[in-house]
Amino acid sequence: MQKTTVVVIGGGATGVGILRDLCMRGVDAILVEQRDLAYGTSSRYHGLLHSGGRYAVKDAEAGKECIEENTILRKIGRHCVEATEGFFVRTEADSEDFEVKWVEACSKVGIPVIPLSVQEALRLEPNLSPKIKSVYRIPDAAIDGFRMVWQNAASARKYGGRILTYTEVTEIENTNGQVTGLTVRNTISGQTDKIQCDFVVSAAGSWAGQIAQSAGITVNVQPDRGTLIAFNHRISSRVINRLRPAADGDIFVPHGSITILGTTSSAADRPDDTTPSSAEIVRLLDIGHALFEDIRDYRILRAFTGTRPLYSADPNAKGRGASRNFVILDHAHEGLKGFVSIVGGKFTTYRLMAEKVTDLVCHYLNVKEPCRTASEDIVPDPSAELMAKAKLYFPAYGTKLAASRLGADGLERVVKRMQEKPEKSQLLCECENVTLAEVEEAAADSTSHMLSDVRRKTRMGMGTCQGAFCTYRSVGAVDANGLSWGQDTGGLFKEFLQARWNGIRPVLWGNVIREAELTRGIYDATLNINGAINNEK
Amino acid sequence: MRNNDVIVIGGGLAGLFAAAVAARQGRKVRVLAYGAGALNIGGGIIDVLGYGYDARPLSSPEAGLADLPPEHPYHKIGRTALADALAFFQDITVAEGYEYQGSLQEMQWLPTAAGTLKPTCLLPKTMNPAVLKQTDRVYVVGFDYLKDFYPQLVARNLQPYFKHQTFTADLCSLNFAEGRDVSSLDIARWLDTPEGQDSFLKQLKRKVEPGSAILIPPVLGTQPDYTLAGKLEAELKCRFVETAALPPAVTGLRLRTLLLNYLKKQGVIVVEKALVSGAMVDQGLCTAVMTENFDRQRTYQAKAYILANGGFYGGGLVAQPGRVIEPIFNIPVAAPEAQEDWSNAQLFSGEKQQFAQLGIQVDEAMRPLSADGSILLSNVHVAGKSLGGYDFCFEKSGNGVALASAYQAAISC
Repeated sequence: MQKTTVVVIGGGATGVGILRDLCMRGVDAILVEQRDLAYGTSSRYHGLLHSGGRYAVKDAEAGKECIEENTILRKIGRHCVEATEGFFVRTEADSEDFEVKWVEACSKVGIPVIPLSVQEALRLEPNLSPKIKSVYRIPDAAIDGFRMVWQNAASARKYGGRILTYTEVTEIENTNGQVTGLTVRNTISGQTDKIQCDFVVSAAGSWAGQIAQSAGITVNVQPDRGTLIAFNHRISSRVINRLRPAADGDIFVPHGSITILGTTSSAADRPDDTTPSSAEIVRLLDIGHALFEDIRDYRILRAFTGTRPLYSADPNAKGRGASRNFVILDHAHEGLKGFVSIVGGKFTTYRLMAEKVTDLVCHYLNVKEPCRTASEDIVPDPSAELMAKAKLYFPAYGTKLAASRLGADGLERVVKRMQEKPEKSQLLCECENVTLAEVEEAAADSTSHMLSDVRRKTRMGMGTCQGAFCTYRSVGAVDANGLSWGQDTGGLFKEFLQARWNGIRPVLWGNVIREAELTRGIYDATLNINGAINNEK
Repeated sequence: MRNNDVIVIGGGLAGLFAAAVAARQGRKVRVLAYGAGALNIGGGIIDVLGYGYDARPLSSPEAGLADLPPEHPYHKIGRTALADALAFFQDITVAEGYEYQGSLQEMQWLPTAAGTLKPTCLLPKTMNPAVLKQTDRVYVVGFDYLKDFYPQLVARNLQPYFKHQTFTADLCSLNFAEGRDVSSLDIARWLDTPEGQDSFLKQLKRKVEPGSAILIPPVLGTQPDYTLAGKLEAELKCRFVETAALPPAVTGLRLRTLLLNYLKKQGVIVVEKALVSGAMVDQGLCTAVMTENFDRQRTYQAKAYILANGGFYGGGLVAQPGRVIEPIFNIPVAAPEAQEDWSNAQLFSGEKQQFAQLGIQVDEAMRPLSADGSILLSNVHVAGKSLGGYDFCFEKSGNGVALASAYQAAISC
């Protein structure tokens, strides 16, 4: 039995944002997440920090929220943001009338839009199709969903927040219409436990309907599938949006050394209906061809699918017709005090959503402390002294990267590991520049229970080779440090490679199939991971 | 250019071995190579057949041959040619002073860097798993900067398979400059040097008792030569066993050197960096193949051609959504239309992967067939991974199919 004031359900951007906000205002809180942090939609989208341009015409309010939050996150979350700027590009297939409407709408909302000649645009982004008709610059940016969630979590913990992963809510309990706590189950050990609390905030995204159901309340969230492609290159230096009413496959976002193209939109059967289909990929490539004529020659890394938590008071609204604005549902109106759901919304506005919910909770708790998340950095910058120390161990190009990924505190712990054992500064994952010390640090965190959890924290295995080389090394590293979570090495190998396989299978052609043949060659033919399992049958 | 009897396309195991067989037949052979194929990935371990169709381990490689389906390359090649191929391969290794041991009648269970055992057929003497059973003490030795081999993991996972041996794990230090990434190839090069050998011996003498076995990653030198292993074993009075391990595969590089040395003596010309881009075909007969290289196109002609340029990894097959292309001759390759049918939802399952079995269909002389079963090219023979009908990972049959199909292709020219 644990005791706290507030339990936050859901370890996505909104959930950790709420946890951090509550803890910064001095409210004791625990976050519970059924899988790993950032397992859900916060990492399964294109990673675009919206300028609001995409929403300006249809939903001016959402557009305005975006540009305001965009400006804030660039400052407080600068370690997670790559200020790439964006283009809105109209192709010959897109309506000129919409372009006029869009420019007007952006100006009304306050989104700075600068027209650019096609010639100049092609000079800046030479891979764009020469057939494009008009181009505008806009303050879009790329944002790393994993890192944003982790840095929020790290900050929340510093303020006293507790995080329980692989913990699902089985029941929300109340006495006389007032929440008294909840029953949770550890999905790995199967053990159940109770958490006593005064308040429950559901930030469960696509799962919000199921969570509300466990308290006997109906919340109408329709999970909506969005499939995306990760390419192995930076196709463009900037975010490229198609200038037309929002539709499938019209956003390209460069991240580090890759590009993400998304998305599709179709009703999902379940919140975890996240297996991409080849048909969706082929369609995205067909659509993307209008912006990048060579798109079919670009090397794909993998595909992935997330589900958007679309909320509507009208149960018949679906897909892009439903609002992407967020709504706070105070279930006191339905007779259950101390239970609030936050639904809808988008990654770009996670901080604002957290602020609004926390305001409401604090109002009930009679906490007067104001919100500081709009001005306080999520993680502090490492000191010059720490950076100088880190440079002794990280490869020259890798120190800044590691500092952004780890934050000051994380960097300090990793550098300490390297000081003790210099061989820990070796790169375990060459594709994403992840050192052995970082993998050990992430594996030792109390929220890690399998290698995929380490991957989400470090990016290990997310690059070109998709685990071909780092799987063996990471299994060896956690095993050698007694961190293998009670699993045998066969199980560790299988879990990590299977998670990679899920995104490789739908794009099994071109260089992806070559890489798959190499990976199978190593793990199946050479190391006999599969056979060893069969031998024991 | 015109006086070749046989042109071999591909410089991996299938290509080099096909060239060796054709040369023995008295043919004038030229190899057009573009890289080393999978030799530097999978290495010089000759798997022939480890698992049957039901995923159960076989008692010997030949025990599973009779149950193979008609489309399997071994079924077309036949047991005799397979045995002849392995015998000729072993003859070459003996002639070159780096003998491979094993036979179709015996399964060898080779320890891997994951601490598993893998069923295989022919191995260099430094990988002989029987050595482990001839002692009561096995030291699993890794190196402090080598991230591709974890001795504790290997020792702990292997221990249950060996009731009468005690496995212990240990590390040797590499006195390399700090700040670099080390592979097993770096260590093999280090052990090629007297300084490396001295340092290694000094450290091992403190760790191991005479009469023991030492299980290590494949690092005992870069050359196809047992002199180094013999010297170290004599000094320590211990036997070494090298494991299967991650690329770069030192064992494959040794085998490649061995085959290239042999081919040179046979007068075979190996043209490196020769990427074959197309072929000229006249009424079912290939008349020439073209390479594109440094802005220059070259044409090579021969009486017969052996296509041994690999599967998807090697570039001998190219996959697109819903179809597979053979880029040189445009030989048709059947593939499921829906991409989801190319593979199993589980990467490691008890079943073969469909995509792994996609490839060229051939007759008994390894000539490519059309969809209706007629011979497409009468003087082109296919060997190695571009053949359809087998999953080398699931079966553990990769290098065995390479050798057998290369042999069959070469004697059919």
